[in-house]
Amino acid sequence: MKKIDAKLIAQQRSIDESSQEIIEKAIKEGIETAWDRLEKQQPQCGFGQLGVCCNNCSMGPCRVDVFEEDGPTKGVCGATGDTIVARNLLDDLLVGAAAHSDHGREVLEVLLDTAEGKAQGYEITDVEKLKVVAQEYHIETEDRDKNDIAKDLALKMLEEFGTVKGSIDLVDSRAPEKTFSMWEKAGIVPRGVDREIVEGAHRVHMGVGADPTNMLLHSLRISLSDGWGGSMMATDASDILFGTPAPNTSFVNLGVLSHDKVNVVLHGHNPVLSEMIVKAANDPDLKALAEKKGAKGINLVGMCCTGNELLVRHGIPLAGNLLDQELSIATGAVEAMIIDYQCIFPSITETAKCFHTKIVATSEKSKVPGAIYKEFHADKALDIAKDIIKLAIENYPNRNHSRVQIPNRPMELMAGFSEEKLRESLGGTYKPLIDAIVAGKIKGVVGLVGCNNPKIKQDYGFVALTKELIKRDILVLVTGCGGVAGGKAGLLMPESAKFAGDGLRSVCEALGIPPALHMGSCVDNSRILVLGANIAKELGCGIEDLPLGGGAPEWYSQKAISIAAYFVASGVYTILGLPPKVFGSEAVVDILTNKLNDVLNAAFAVEPDPVKAADMFVAEINRKRKALGI
Amino acid sequence: MENIFIRPELCIGCRHCEIACAVEHSQSKDLFGMLKETPQSRPRIHVEIGVDFLTFPNRCRHCDPAPCIQVCPTDALYRDKDTGNVIIAYEKCIDCGACAIACPFGIITFHNVPQVSFDREVNAKCDGCIDRVREGIEPACVEACKTGALVFGEINQLIRNSRKDFTIRMIKSQGADVETSKIPKSVQQYREILKKIAEIGPLPNS
Repeated sequence: MKKIDAKLIAQQRSIDESSQEIIEKAIKEGIETAWDRLEKQQPQCGFGQLGVCCNNCSMGPCRVDVFEEDGPTKGVCGATGDTIVARNLLDDLLVGAAAHSDHGREVLEVLLDTAEGKAQGYEITDVEKLKVVAQEYHIETEDRDKNDIAKDLALKMLEEFGTVKGSIDLVDSRAPEKTFSMWEKAGIVPRGVDREIVEGAHRVHMGVGADPTNMLLHSLRISLSDGWGGSMMATDASDILFGTPAPNTSFVNLGVLSHDKVNVVLHGHNPVLSEMIVKAANDPDLKALAEKKGAKGINLVGMCCTGNELLVRHGIPLAGNLLDQELSIATGAVEAMIIDYQCIFPSITETAKCFHTKIVATSEKSKVPGAIYKEFHADKALDIAKDIIKLAIENYPNRNHSRVQIPNRPMELMAGFSEEKLRESLGGTYKPLIDAIVAGKIKGVVGLVGCNNPKIKQDYGFVALTKELIKRDILVLVTGCGGVAGGKAGLLMPESAKFAGDGLRSVCEALGIPPALHMGSCVDNSRILVLGANIAKELGCGIEDLPLGGGAPEWYSQKAISIAAYFVASGVYTILGLPPKVFGSEAVVDILTNKLNDVLNAAFAVEPDPVKAADMFVAEINRKRKALGI
Repeated sequence: MENIFIRPELCIGCRHCEIACAVEHSQSKDLFGMLKETPQSRPRIHVEIGVDFLTFPNRCRHCDPAPCIQVCPTDALYRDKDTGNVIIAYEKCIDCGACAIACPFGIITFHNVPQVSFDREVNAKCDGCIDRVREGIEPACVEACKTGALVFGEINQLIRNSRKDFTIRMIKSQGADVETSKIPKSVQQYREILKKIAEIGPLPNS
């Protein structure tokens, strides 16, 4: 039996030293991780990888011989590889959009409950933003109680999910006119958030969608109902309820866990849950209970997107991104991981069994076998939150300190660059940024977003690409797991401007900002859309004319497909670090990487190599600069 | 002699060959029935991942002379005269593993088989689907392979296709119809992307 070099394996799995440390621990202690399961899955089926496996109906499952030899060229229903690939992409995208938009719906429901006095512990925090958005919805704000305004706004936004209205206000009003015309011409203006998704599911049914272009256009429409709809409403309603983020500093990586406090990891997505946990943890009785149980206090840390939400609003430290979720438990130091939904490995309850850690599931939508279930409701939010914290505190005496290992170098990061605060720091308009772009100090702006994927060394894709881009004087905006990756690598501090090219560095030093700006969670990619829209409006052009780019170097999720699609649909060239399941159809690949340019002035590309990807971004940015005459 | 010729570039790792092999060697010869059987039927063809996410289906080559036959102490392994396949007389196998040590291809695995009534593992390697071949039907793995990675026939004929294709490429004819695998551009692009991902991730790369 070959001796396992755990350290070497850890270094192949992640670039982050703190994560590496715990990967090593997990290997030595026999704790299974996503990396182990990926290995066991090899080889993964090529039909699936190429997108030519159709498992939709009972006449199947079918697959298509991509080599066009003697194998089948059509499914039983007659669908060709092109049809199957496009249909599968539609299927994946609509699931991703549904995740974002359903999250948005929940925030709106809490906003409504709060406005009606039915929610416990919530309040309208950002009255300014409430009024701004309400005015966009033509709601009267003068001399009105904030709760009345909020109620009207929540109802109007919830209406966007339906069928009757036939339009989404934010799509129609926030996008620049030229970009909106582009959507009209392409026939992809979304009519309603739930409607586009349901129609998408309809089109996936056997014998509905058959034309690849037709299906891909509807996919783009769904993505717009997410980015400019469900996600954007999630961001705005969360800002209204919990505050619009402003730049602050905090700490990130597994080192934020504590040796002598009750560690509670907040994992999942929706701040309607995590914000209440934060509030509950301030309760003096709970703090006293923690001390009674031998802990020096309660240490709340975030994981993934809900962690990003708490980071950008309150500076709550972040323990890690997607691939760190099992590792955080493997430190042996976590009393409870509180989850709602999305990106949560079903295996974490198994990981938790290796220790005293309790997994607390809170949403009826995402029960996990082995988890303790404490259903969360807005009307009893604070009580339930306190109950959950109590559970964590009472678990502290069960911690086996001899099995605990916590990395000891948490990284400092700056985060919270909401579109509002960014614009405010520039003096209220984007003119300084536009001037810098025109002058060439900043060549363009690229949003690096998305997840981790164990197929790529954790955080390598993000960190390498961020460094290549800032070297080329391209300002980087980050969200989601990508933001966490940048933070772990130290790139989100103003000092990191030293890695940037001369132009970008001078701008960063003048403003005291990092070369990569963390804007929040994955629904907060909508902030990037608003930023793009506002710059375009100041210039009198469309978002598709701006020297922008989008990148998801290590994506895994269906949500990422929706995000990439709404970037491209909004005119932003997007590079994926891993291939989507489309390469079984040359026609679909051609549409996505080539033909979309004619319709949206943007397209997709796939490039895992960070240096090549950076060069591709530069080429695209130069193309748009040239067209703008700068 | 008829044998199975493998075109590695057409293997995409779907593992249908494994399932079909297991079903063929089960008692009920049906997927759902197979899952209820004891002992559980196991595949005798093994798809492994190499580097850059590329895969290869490994099966017995039915060598002649066969190292496994040469080392077997009980003559449990023998050659079928008609097909040339290397077959196992299960009840003679003493599970010593000498054949596995001698096999250059690592394709011999040991499992319980229904033909042996005692609870012991025996050499359960590929038998060339001898029952099917005798009836003029191609082996189960070949039938299951939908990309043409596994083809059955006279080796001399099968390899001629590769030779012709190479000849054409050497002569560089314009627009010539190639007889062997033409990898579509998008699949080539896909494999190039996978190669890059293998370089920056933990799975084996070239």
